[in-house]
Amino acid sequence: MPVTPQWFELQLSKERLRALWTRPGPPQEWDEDRKRADDRARVRHARARRRPFLLLFLLVGPGVLVMLGENDGPSMLSYATTGATYGIGFFVPFIVLTFAMAYIVQEATVRIGIVTHRGHAELIYQRFGPFWGNFAMLDLSVGNVLTLITEFVAIRAGTAFFGIAPWVAVTMAVVFSVAVLLSGRYFAWERIVLLLATANLLFIPAAAFSHPDFAALARALGTWQPLPGGTHGAFLTLVLANIGATVTPWMIFFQQSATVDKGLTRLDLPQGRIDTALGMCLAAVVAIAAVVASAPLFTHHVGVAGLANSADFATALRPFLGTTGVTLFALGMIEAGLVATMTISTSSSYAVGEVLRRGHSLNLTLRQEPIFYGINLASIVVAAAVVLVPHAPLLAITIAVNVIATLLMAPALLFLLLLVNDREIMGSLANSRIANVAGGAVTIGIAVVGAVYGVVTAFPQLLAQ
Amino acid sequence: MSENRPRELLEALDPDQRQSALQTPLPRRRLGPGILALLWTLRIYVLLAVGVVVYAFVRSLLR
Repeated sequence: MPVTPQWFELQLSKERLRALWTRPGPPQEWDEDRKRADDRARVRHARARRRPFLLLFLLVGPGVLVMLGENDGPSMLSYATTGATYGIGFFVPFIVLTFAMAYIVQEATVRIGIVTHRGHAELIYQRFGPFWGNFAMLDLSVGNVLTLITEFVAIRAGTAFFGIAPWVAVTMAVVFSVAVLLSGRYFAWERIVLLLATANLLFIPAAAFSHPDFAALARALGTWQPLPGGTHGAFLTLVLANIGATVTPWMIFFQQSATVDKGLTRLDLPQGRIDTALGMCLAAVVAIAAVVASAPLFTHHVGVAGLANSADFATALRPFLGTTGVTLFALGMIEAGLVATMTISTSSSYAVGEVLRRGHSLNLTLRQEPIFYGINLASIVVAAAVVLVPHAPLLAITIAVNVIATLLMAPALLFLLLLVNDREIMGSLANSRIANVAGGAVTIGIAVVGAVYGVVTAFPQLLAQ
Repeated sequence: MSENRPRELLEALDPDQRQSALQTPLPRRRLGPGILALLWTLRIYVLLAVGVVVYAFVRSLLR
């Protein structure tokens, strides 16, 4: 092409276009600060104007999300099995106790996040070094990928009740999770997932369709009666499954990182605690509702041996809850899997970003931090692909995953206790003696329970003898 | 939000929660023998227990 004025003009235009495309935007850190500061300005405004409900509305999020997120597919299945096996009795107050335990653990993550403004994985690496940090990350990564598989099992089973093909259901779940993730703002992501998580409450009207005996419910809460009958094996397995359904390692990593990403400060500690307590109460009520909804199977002596997933439960409950009741039950199961998919995969992203010292915030865009979003997407896609493998042993995977998640909890709790007692970083917000007694009891209890759960699951014949 | 007033807006953040402050890692903590023993105990516990679960899982598949 001859060198003409037009040629020069064309080259100049190309150069301008290239410059526009590659022009650096605001520095990534600055952009993250700017978005968080925007959210904080609204909080400051609400506080200055003495509007406590608006302040609480702005500050709730991580606690409710983590608690309702843990009411996930396998957990709701455990509660349904509990109701179908033992009806309304001992397990109702027991569930309240397990959620109180979850509060003790999760409240500590709020304090650590507020004081240090650093995520859990980041703190473990910095304070204990990469050797122990790598172990913590290995536990989290293995636990999260496996748990994500069980969430897609729940989504697949729940949607099967409505006659939706597995590949359609799983694809829709992946697309939805990724679309919400790419909002580019922590606050937007949190609000969308919170809205979705309210569907966890569908178990409450589903329970109402079972015409529950409120006197029996009140008696159970007050007296822990009637005590379960039947075999010791079934009882012990459900005790362990219910504990495993309430506390898992991803919750610790998620809530601390989300507290940091949301930008909570020391002034927000009361609201952070209310957020966690609110999440605990909502999740406990929903868990009890799932027990109540499935209790008619116990009352009418319907065996639970053949009920392997939520679709089986919904079908078995139809004569007692009616079509509307079981539809709510199945929708609740789908929500349980979907919300947990979004929170668990985000906990993986936070942890990997923190350890690699890369950006780790939902306030960053995909273009700014592809690794953060790539980890999230990859974990979701891998889990989704596994449940679409023909003849995959989904029930065996679900049981094994629940046990592994419970086993991994003890070391995660030890790291948490060490960090929350670290006065160099926690100062006056370090654990009190009472909090340490409670936290220590939870850690020892879960370690023992995990060991028993592992042995019982591996060698069920021990309990049959 | 207008981008020409970031300084004013950034005042909504505590100084120690700005990204510039978080770039410096916290100092490493010295772990005493008691803590190390606890960490190793739980690590061995996890390895053994997960081994048992994997064994049970494989056995259930082979049945």
